[in-house]
Amino acid sequence: MSESMNKQVAISNVIYKASLFLDEHRWDDWLNLCHEDFYYAIKAFSPEINYDMIYMDGNREDMRTITDMLPKHNSDNSPLARHTVVYTVEMDESQDTATAVSSFAVYKTELDGINSHALAGESNIFLVGKYRDKFGFDNGEPFFMERIVQLDTRRLDKGSHFPI
Amino acid sequence: MPARNAKQWDKIPGKIASGEYVDSRIYSDRNIFEEEITKIFKKVWTPVCHESELSEPYSFRTMTVAREPVMVVRGADNQIRAFLNVCPHRGNMIENRPSGSFEQGSPSGAPKHMTCMFHAWQFDMKGNCVHISRGSEGYQDRLACSDVGLRRLRCEVKYGGFVWVTLNDAIDQTVEEWAGGAFDCMEKSLNAEPLEVFHYHKAIIPCNYKLWHDTNSEFYHDYLHYHNRITGFNDSYFARKNIGFDNGHVNVGSFEVQYDQYEGFESREELSFPHLPNNHWEMIDFFPGVNFNLRGSALRCDIMTPLGPDKVMIEFRGLGLKSDTPEERLIRQRHHNSIWGPFGRNLHEDLLAVSTQQATMNEWADKRRILHGRHEVDADGDPTIHDEEGMRHFYDAWGRWMDRWPGDPELSFEEGQKREAA
Ligand code: FES
Ligand SMILES: [Fe+2]
Repeated sequence: MSESMNKQVAISNVIYKASLFLDEHRWDDWLNLCHEDFYYAIKAFSPEINYDMIYMDGNREDMRTITDMLPKHNSDNSPLARHTVVYTVEMDESQDTATAVSSFAVYKTELDGINSHALAGESNIFLVGKYRDKFGFDNGEPFFMERIVQLDTRRLDKGSHFPI
Repeated sequence: MPARNAKQWDKIPGKIASGEYVDSRIYSDRNIFEEEITKIFKKVWTPVCHESELSEPYSFRTMTVAREPVMVVRGADNQIRAFLNVCPHRGNMIENRPSGSFEQGSPSGAPKHMTCMFHAWQFDMKGNCVHISRGSEGYQDRLACSDVGLRRLRCEVKYGGFVWVTLNDAIDQTVEEWAGGAFDCMEKSLNAEPLEVFHYHKAIIPCNYKLWHDTNSEFYHDYLHYHNRITGFNDSYFARKNIGFDNGHVNVGSFEVQYDQYEGFESREELSFPHLPNNHWEMIDFFPGVNFNLRGSALRCDIMTPLGPDKVMIEFRGLGLKSDTPEERLIRQRHHNSIWGPFGRNLHEDLLAVSTQQATMNEWADKRRILHGRHEVDADGDPTIHDEEGMRHFYDAWGRWMDRWPGDPELSFEEGQKREAA
């Protein structure tokens, strides 16, 4: 396999790895896949107000602060599971950076959000959208430089304290 | 005393008076809900969107008010008007999109007209019917454009550019009169220069609309929020006052938020709203289901649309100044998001709490007393932030509109008052 193909496969792998870490609340492991200057944002376009919105954003340190605070918040602890499919991986000419677009759906399996006796165990779609990621490489290993979570979903009944 | 048996559980606890609790059936009873739609929501002024959402002539927004489909349109004369979004022909909804422009014609119609796609009747931006397809062939001289038109609704653009609508032609108050002074605390800030909406999302929550309004009105629940446990509970916080206004509106006055106590937050001092002192916070709980929250650099507005006794849609907006530079806008967005965004620190906790609150008060649940009997006053005798005067004030207005006593909705308001006096 060419170096470029190797790198493309490695990028798919790291996107899937990130999905698993996020599903499992392994925040540090997730952030360790990201560069120091990593930028994360959840965005959506609202046809209602005709505006490109930012719902959350920050650098790696901001994300670490947020994930470190999670245990101090009251939360709907219903697990979120991402179904991610990598659509495209594109290497730049120099082979030093790459971009990838993945489609995702996040399923929520109710635990304690409303009335656990009736609802715990029920799964529903929570969010759908695209991951638009940028990567750099360290010894051939890709790391996240940027993740834009572009949401289609704009009805967010109870949002989430968790990065998506 | 330890845990209660059924009889003890049913008794009024301690010396709580009958105006200091409500009966949980007001949050779950279908008939009471239907009555609220007819007696309150069809009668009052409510903001439905912001004028920046219709920025150009011919742009429109659609929504519902008390279940009636409504359309707000900016005319060629820049005037904003509201209509029922219902065709006078066979009752089709004229415009289905949430927003857009009539500048380009729709598939069935001409540019700069509203066209009902069904049989292509056309209307101008003032709601006049201007075209009936094969009109004279079908109606001869029995019905002409001049005999029909859209149902116009009373509409005002007020308080920082919010578009207010009422279904009630006979309402004898302007928006300003209806507000009864509740906007005095932030009107100067809102009207200093044009505003723009930068955030919109909606939630449909399994709770009665009043539970969300209660939560916006009572700050005792700040214990729910890590953010507030860390930043909030100091002297200036407890000095904040609850002030009631006519028609059930409430203000909670300013205090200085200690943002620097909360990790990951820069102080909001760098950017504020015109005429709003740095790090100050003003909030209006507007009867019956709107909340305006001006804090630091961002204005938040929640508009509630009740969908059922245990279902409410809440539309969350964030606003800044139209003149913002991209850098200023980003700061406002971040400030808004950090607490109030769907992935922010507080909003999710509030929505979680009202969902689990309603979960104990479903339609078939036994009636219970929901207390709002806290009195916590300052040296002047004015109710302060953890006083539950805000909810008592709301339910007093609610009871009068509904002619029901909130503590026992089977009693008329007057019967309830008499019982309380006795
Ligand atoms: S229903 Fe609108 S034109 Fe017929
Ligand atoms: Fe809250």
